Amino acid sequence: MKQSLRKQRPDEGTPMMQKTALTASSRTITMHASLAKRLLLSEYFVLYLTILYILVLTPIIPRLWHPMNIQNILSNMWPLLVVAIGQTFVLILAGIDLSQTSVMAMSSVIGAVVMTSSADPILFSKSPLWGVLLSEQGGLLGASAFAVPVGILAMLAVGLFIGFLNGFSVAYFKMPPFIVTLVSMMLFSAMAIYLTKSENIRHLPQAYLQISKTKGSFISGSLIIALFLAIIAHIVLTRTLFGKRLYAVGINTTASEISGVPAKTTIIAAYMLSGACAAIAGVLYSSRLEMGRPTLGSTLFIDIVGANIIGGISLAGGKGKVTWTIFGVFFFIILANSLNMLNLSFYIIDMVKGSVILVAALLDVARNSIRKSQM
Amino acid sequence: MKKLTILLVVMCLLAPTLLFSAGAKEAKSDEITIAFCFQDLETEFWVAGHKAITETLRENGIKVIEKNANEDANRQLEQVKDVITQGVDGVIIIPQDGESAVTIAKVCNEAGVPIGVFNRPPSDRSAKNLVVVANNEVIAEAAVEHMAQEAKKLGRKVYPAIMVGDLGDPNAVGRRQGFMNVMAKYPDLWAQAPVEIPTKWDANVALANLQSAMQANPKIDFLFTSSDFLFPVIKSVLAPLGKWNLVGDPNHVILGGLDGDVTAARLLEEGYLDATGVQNLFYEADLMLEAMLSAIKSGEKTPDKWMDDPGFALTQANLSTKAEEMWGWVLYKEKK
Repeated sequence: MKQSLRKQRPDEGTPMMQKTALTASSRTITMHASLAKRLLLSEYFVLYLTILYILVLTPIIPRLWHPMNIQNILSNMWPLLVVAIGQTFVLILAGIDLSQTSVMAMSSVIGAVVMTSSADPILFSKSPLWGVLLSEQGGLLGASAFAVPVGILAMLAVGLFIGFLNGFSVAYFKMPPFIVTLVSMMLFSAMAIYLTKSENIRHLPQAYLQISKTKGSFISGSLIIALFLAIIAHIVLTRTLFGKRLYAVGINTTASEISGVPAKTTIIAAYMLSGACAAIAGVLYSSRLEMGRPTLGSTLFIDIVGANIIGGISLAGGKGKVTWTIFGVFFFIILANSLNMLNLSFYIIDMVKGSVILVAALLDVARNSIRKSQM
Repeated sequence: MKKLTILLVVMCLLAPTLLFSAGAKEAKSDEITIAFCFQDLETEFWVAGHKAITETLRENGIKVIEKNANEDANRQLEQVKDVITQGVDGVIIIPQDGESAVTIAKVCNEAGVPIGVFNRPPSDRSAKNLVVVANNEVIAEAAVEHMAQEAKKLGRKVYPAIMVGDLGDPNAVGRRQGFMNVMAKYPDLWAQAPVEIPTKWDANVALANLQSAMQANPKIDFLFTSSDFLFPVIKSVLAPLGKWNLVGDPNHVILGGLDGDVTAARLLEEGYLDATGVQNLFYEADLMLEAMLSAIKSGEKTPDKWMDDPGFALTQANLSTKAEEMWGWVLYKEKK
């Protein structure tokens, strides 16, 4: 009543005009909300965010675009991408593979034992491998031309074997993946240290060390391996029956089994793929560090899972793509690099990384609830 | 509402970096910038080493970029590559181990940035670097020599043991060798070959292995630890066995160490410790800075020089005259 008695101001126009203006304004708001919603639900959301992040940081860190820094970013990205892709398979299953770090350590040790050309008796004489697989003349195939391929195959075998043990325990004994892979991590990390008595194995063949070297451009063996693996993993997830089964088991294991999906085989295969990817990452990291290290990757797990979560791979399972993993790893590496370039203290860097992973997990929850409300 | 949520999420993602970036400054062009990349600060020795290096650099007007690798060799490599990209004039590292020091030094050599390796030397000399390292063998030998002289006074044979560090670390190798030199020098003094107790530079590993060693060899009465940071572990094992006693007590285990940290200073003053080998941290920091600045000023990209800290042994015999030269003693007195 008060409103109708209120004196009309000259700029307010007629009631019809007001109604039109209101409709236009609410339409704009709706459009923006819809755009924001589409952006949030877009599978390229993390990529957009990364681009925005880079744009914001460019004036603050001019050296972000320095060729040497781009080379650093890329060389840091490839090994993490490889191991994160392996984790993606397991996360789609609603599982988790904590043992990836121990696979990297164990495989790097076994590979180095095959490939090394010499070993110091002062360091290794108390190793159980001394005199059997390791001597002053090196490892099993130290001087042989087959050292590198056999060494890499041995590393892959280690990854597949540990992955098989994990997958078998989860699939057949119905053990929680967290406990199974936690125990594997402890067991194989300790075994890697026991076998080498905590020593690093050096003197690896030049051909092996060249895998991670970048000469003159951004091309390296690590890049080729990581991209090849990403393409294969993408095809496996999107174009194969195994990929479809993986999502089905991840969404509902019981329902998928009733529908005729061989859930147990699928679970074992996913953990074996995770182990194999971790072993390949072990190749890239140990080639980069020029040694087999029994503690290789011991602090890397949060980076692996963090990159997956940031990419949008759901911990609840049944959802995930290799492209999301690539975006997640890219964002994570850019974040770590930029924080380093800002010369922040180690503690702040870890605090920021932790906050970003937490926000990404919250974002995943928000996206899921929006999707459900749209159904 | 959803729009606001999205905006908030994006802001949350960007805020921490932007917030902290406000405090980050670009180096002035005429200012020398040195990156100090250390593996961690897990013991008093490394905390003091960190303090010695950073204070010495800053006192000389040098901008210091600090990076902590949290005991991860791969992370340290990435950090060194990042600081090279930032155009630092030099890099000083405390590496995770001698092997990773070689890999990192090679990266610096390729980039033409002088690198200094502080206190934990590279495992070989295939890369060019400035290395400041205590003469671990000589220092350990001096400390163990004093312990041997104390053992002689007992007029009987003693049961020796050494807590060995991570033998991937050349420091640990040198310390073990210094101990073994004294073992070889007085063959008639020992009742048996020395018991070697692995520690891997890890207090938990040391505790478990020392407990086992004391059960298997309860007569051990001559114990040298390759690092002073293990004294609390030694006390926790010896005290329940009635073997943690003052010097001169019939049940005293002749005890020695190496580093010269605050705990060793306190134990020397209280009379539980016979001797400790001392690394002169502040002298080492000065040596490193001098060599690094000289290389930077002369435009030398890959300087290659090994510098020794001769160190000394602080014992119950020279405590009153030499204590002030030990870095741990100075810090102990400051804390007091």
